[in-house]
Amino acid sequence: MTNNKMMHALPVDAYTLQKWFDLEQKHIFSKTWQFAGLVEDVTNPGDYISVQAGLNNIFIIKGRDQRLRAFHNMCRHRGTQLLRAVGKSKKAITCPYHDWTYDLEGKLISIPKKEEEFPDLCNKELHDCGLNLHEASVDVFKGMLFVHPKKNAPSIMEFFGEVAPFLGPHIPEELIEYKQKKDEPFYVKEIHANWKIIVENYIDHYHLAHLHQGTLNMYDHSKAEFGWAGPHYWFYEPLVPEYLEDVKNAAPYPLIDKMPEDKMGAYVPWLFPNIGITESESAWNTFHVLPLSPDRTLVTIRSKTMNVSEWEYTKQYTKSMASKVWEIYGNRGKYDGDKNDPMASGDFMLEDIYACEQQQKSLSSPMFSVGAQAQRGEYAIGRFQEEIKQWIEKYRDNE
Amino acid sequence: MSKLYLLKILEIKKETEDSVSVSFDVPHDLHDIFNYKAGQYLTLKFNINGEEVIRSYSLCSSPVFDEPLKIGVKRVKNGLVSNHINNNLKVDDLVEVMPPNGRFFADVKNNNYKTYYLFSAGSGITPILSILHTVLLTEEHSYVYMIYGNRTENSIMFKAELEKLQEDYANRFILIHTVSRPKSNWSDLWKSLNEQTFRKGRVDTQAVEWFVKEYPPYAQNVEYYICGPGTMIENTKKALKSIDVPDERIFIESFTGLNKTNNSIGMENAKLIALLNDEKIEIAVPKGKTILRTLIDAGKEPPYFCEGGMCLTCMCKLKNGKVHMNNNLSLTDKEVEQGYILSCQSIPLSDTLEIEYPKK
Repeated sequence: MTNNKMMHALPVDAYTLQKWFDLEQKHIFSKTWQFAGLVEDVTNPGDYISVQAGLNNIFIIKGRDQRLRAFHNMCRHRGTQLLRAVGKSKKAITCPYHDWTYDLEGKLISIPKKEEEFPDLCNKELHDCGLNLHEASVDVFKGMLFVHPKKNAPSIMEFFGEVAPFLGPHIPEELIEYKQKKDEPFYVKEIHANWKIIVENYIDHYHLAHLHQGTLNMYDHSKAEFGWAGPHYWFYEPLVPEYLEDVKNAAPYPLIDKMPEDKMGAYVPWLFPNIGITESESAWNTFHVLPLSPDRTLVTIRSKTMNVSEWEYTKQYTKSMASKVWEIYGNRGKYDGDKNDPMASGDFMLEDIYACEQQQKSLSSPMFSVGAQAQRGEYAIGRFQEEIKQWIEKYRDNE
Repeated sequence: MSKLYLLKILEIKKETEDSVSVSFDVPHDLHDIFNYKAGQYLTLKFNINGEEVIRSYSLCSSPVFDEPLKIGVKRVKNGLVSNHINNNLKVDDLVEVMPPNGRFFADVKNNNYKTYYLFSAGSGITPILSILHTVLLTEEHSYVYMIYGNRTENSIMFKAELEKLQEDYANRFILIHTVSRPKSNWSDLWKSLNEQTFRKGRVDTQAVEWFVKEYPPYAQNVEYYICGPGTMIENTKKALKSIDVPDERIFIESFTGLNKTNNSIGMENAKLIALLNDEKIEIAVPKGKTILRTLIDAGKEPPYFCEGGMCLTCMCKLKNGKVHMNNNLSLTDKEVEQGYILSCQSIPLSDTLEIEYPKK
């Protein structure tokens, strides 16, 4: 059943129908640079990771020359996935199905029983038979790994170059990852909402002072600056004066040394299509949004903080706990009541998830409609939808 | 032969004890002809003691600066031309110069995002300096990691210029000096930290492996440029290939393209059929003699210029037979595979052979 109601620039269908999900997978997530992790995920020669980037599964492997290579993660024989998740490879990559083997440059180097079973396959050397792994592209931007399914992808700087000057002064590769459990990202959560609902929540300035009135009030939303650079959104807001005054004590983690004192605050850009960064006075986080189905999305947050000793963290924690700033800011739920209620939890993530899931639910109500759009505070939402629309239409017209 | 132009010398500057840089004035109407890419060379012709000599020297100036064309020339022991340039040339002299040429260059573009590894030794710095300058100035997102080998601290050419670049581009340019015969004195103790950052040794396998490991690439589109004397190029290339750097990412420039007659190989009086300017020439090639020289000595006019295996002017296609090339500094592996040869470097290895020059 199709629905001709609109969100802003996109139809409500774009948030509920499999058809739209498939179009996005094909025309957005399979044609853009996709976040694949942090540079330190692939440290030594032979180390690899594999990631799903739209319709493509791609693995990144580091060569002995310290350069990363990316290949489509499937055997050229019958398409079986070659490498699982993360690991370290010795000299070659062998398909588990029939043991077809490739070297670390993706060249086919052996086929079991070649002479008997494939006498007419190709009379040249194996690596000249047109059966090498399909190459993809990998590059590094601001300490993050990105992959692109094409071998000769447009430069990653053509994609991100315009937004680069609006990002924070943080140097992520100098920071260390903060994990609560070993081998697990800081935060992973499957959210029952379309991925765009989550993006729109991330770039919605209007809600900050309302949904998060008691949780993100240490930032001065009235002084926020934001806009677009190419297909990407940028955002900056300073700390409130009371927090700024005591920031050296009050900050939950040691202050990021690259933050200038006159620009203490949070940079919160959204890089098209599905990776946000939260660059604050004491942490640097990636916020990755992976669409699973029209109404399910996996959010993964990885967090990095200053590379200083345990002792520095303990000292900072003690000072932060003692600071009067937190008596007023950042820890109060929107409503009083049971802490299990997201609205009373005092946790801004729970507040956002609640709002997103409730909105998603309402999309299927016969009475649903968008009543109005805040011209400044929700400007980014309409702009983001325009961007999605353009990408889909650009390709859909050609089919 | 390609056209020569008379250019006036604007400046001669002593760079080290045994090297100079020479700048040329290019008149306005020749600007387009003398336009060049970072890494290319100029070919000069001199008449020294009644002998015509031709040599190519890499440009060390950068095409994106508003600066005159400049070459760097280091004395070579008993080198006829390098000593002539160092001893005799004066400002305002006119020199016969062929427009810039060469396949060793970086394809520099504003929005490139690359990591450049530059390996150079001795006077091999000249094209590398041009590439370095041009990349840093033009490609604001790219990184350059350079290792520069010299015999002593005092033989480092363009030292001040390099230091300035280190200061100006500290966040994306790394330079490691390596010195094979460091002078160490007690006075080193009082030197600034900057002056002491020398690695000991040559640009060899060990240095290359250490360098790449110590400074892994940030941008993942990586290119490797090598220029230096003697075995430095081969050693560097071998070291890179041993850690799986693909061939197509390695670019080399060799200065040692000198004519050497090689009598130890070749066929006795091989029969050559050459298609040249719509003429079919049949001629015997004496043992050890190049195809080009054989044709010239027979009064024919095959195209040629440097006779050093660099300029590609004498390139032709081998349609039949086999040759040995003394020095191939310019044809790519692919071109060789397709049958292209440099006639100035080719000695027959088969009884008969057939070549065809491109039509004019």
